[in-house]
Amino acid sequence: MAAHNVRRTPLERLEYAIIVSTLMFLVVLTVQPLLNLLAISFSDPGKVAGMSGLTVIPNGFSTEVWDLLINNSAVQRGLLNSIFITLVSTVLGVVLTALMAWALSRPGLPGRRIIFVFVLVTIVFEPGIIPDYFINKRLGLLDSYWSLILFKVVNAWYLIILVRFFEEVPKELIEASELDGANPFQIFWYVALPLAKSALATIALFYFVFHWNEFFRAMIYLNDQSKWPLQVVLRQFVVEGDKLAMVGVVDSNNYTGASQINIRALKAGMILLTIAPILAIYPLILKFFTKGTMSGALKG
Amino acid sequence: MSRNGNVPKIRQGLSKGVRQWWPYYLMMAPGLIFFVIFHYFPIWEAKIAFEQLRIIPPNIWVGIKHFQTLFSSPIFWQVLANTLILSTMKIVFFFPVPIIVALLLNEIRGGAFRKFIQSAIYLPHFLSWVVIAGVFIAVLSPSDGAVNDIIGFFGMQPVSFMTDTGSIRWVLVFSEIWRSAGWDSLLYLAAIIAIDQELYDAAEIDGANRWQKIRYVTIPGIVPTIATLFILNAGMFLNADLNQVINFSNDVVRSKIDIIDTYVYRIGLQTGEYSLATAAGLFKAVLGMLMIVAAHLLSKRLTGKGVW
Repeated sequence: MAAHNVRRTPLERLEYAIIVSTLMFLVVLTVQPLLNLLAISFSDPGKVAGMSGLTVIPNGFSTEVWDLLINNSAVQRGLLNSIFITLVSTVLGVVLTALMAWALSRPGLPGRRIIFVFVLVTIVFEPGIIPDYFINKRLGLLDSYWSLILFKVVNAWYLIILVRFFEEVPKELIEASELDGANPFQIFWYVALPLAKSALATIALFYFVFHWNEFFRAMIYLNDQSKWPLQVVLRQFVVEGDKLAMVGVVDSNNYTGASQINIRALKAGMILLTIAPILAIYPLILKFFTKGTMSGALKG
Repeated sequence: MSRNGNVPKIRQGLSKGVRQWWPYYLMMAPGLIFFVIFHYFPIWEAKIAFEQLRIIPPNIWVGIKHFQTLFSSPIFWQVLANTLILSTMKIVFFFPVPIIVALLLNEIRGGAFRKFIQSAIYLPHFLSWVVIAGVFIAVLSPSDGAVNDIIGFFGMQPVSFMTDTGSIRWVLVFSEIWRSAGWDSLLYLAAIIAIDQELYDAAEIDGANRWQKIRYVTIPGIVPTIATLFILNAGMFLNADLNQVINFSNDVVRSKIDIIDTYVYRIGLQTGEYSLATAAGLFKAVLGMLMIVAAHLLSKRLTGKGVW
């Protein structure tokens, strides 16, 4: 890269080696636990007992754990619920945020500042869990997917990011479209949205990760287990250690000895299954989040 | 509005404004309605902190009675102390790590190699606390977790970290580091990249070695960023993470890591003491708001940059 990095003396080579190995150590620290879970989940179920937490190589090979997980009804329902909640939340979130951001980004809009303050207040002051619970109860949203979907359907932070982006749209472009006879909705649809594709993709990813990872609200608002997203199913099984939640996986009658070993492998598989969608879109996340954070984070 | 001919003019202006802008208000309407219902109604709803709830309304106004109950409860003080201890530990032990990681990353030549390291260490930031708790339960397991395998290798007794009152706070700090130190280094890296390259060239000519360049060019260059983020962190002081704590809690260690948020959740949604829980939540919200606003003002004064 730059000239100041040229290696000259043995001491500097040693320094560089230490820096590289420190960073590689961090990489191992981050990735090894996940690779270990992967190895355990693909190991021969009979050989999981006594497998070291340090290994990243499966002991034998079997897809039994994954077969059990994927065929388990609680897991299937959880997966479908998660996908449904996340997709609806993301689409709704992007559309409503974009609409509001576009309007808020118009310079002459009367009341613009007041609405800005109105939104900022909600970032600084959150009255807490209980009032939120009562609102959801009052609206009849308990035990409904909507209690999750409507949570931060317009996220104040993302809204501000998008407003900043829309403010950069050249005035001339909008005036030209107005001269062509376009109404504000047409300008939004045909001018603003296409210009904001990358910003919208970023926001969409934000919403996706946010909703996919949400579990607390699902935990307090959804009593009906058939509506649980994957995170809550995982939590019940791994964090709460509730084996019963997963016993359906193995026939409960021969749920002894060898099957007991499966619990550790099942937990490993369950964790990986829950992060699979994040891993699938991780290259996109890196691309958009990194760029966004690099350029926008410190503008203040 | 004076009594001469101004009034009609203003009215005219207003109606013209409404005619011109109504489509934009219409676009904003769903978002605005959302903010009113899900952010402003709860503020109004929080009045139950000052009321005695009754099955058949109306509730009775009792003033600050619930706050008095709260402040005379030893558990509340314990919870407040836990919150402060955890936040302090995170600031002291978490805060410097991303800075160090960024300094190390900046020394790496070769874009592809650096990208590889970054893509690995950023990953945990995008995992939920449920998943991270699951990973930590596996890694720290006394019988077959990686950490105890290493401890065992040195011939020491295994430690049950997740159920050890002495270690659980460190588990929280370390899991926070595992989750976000890599990602947070991105902010500092951005600041380092913005430093004028000529400063490095000049230092080079003066014969500065790697450490001298870090000490006299890089670190001074990112001090404003460090200051801003430190103040921001201090402002979020009370926000010891509910999602984290709730997943790392169990009956054995609860007394050590029970924070205001988990306390509110427990006495509110689990025990049904809605008014008391709301009072605790409001206490935290007001204190938190004051700290964020103070942090914002301090940041503006010291670095010229606000928090938002």
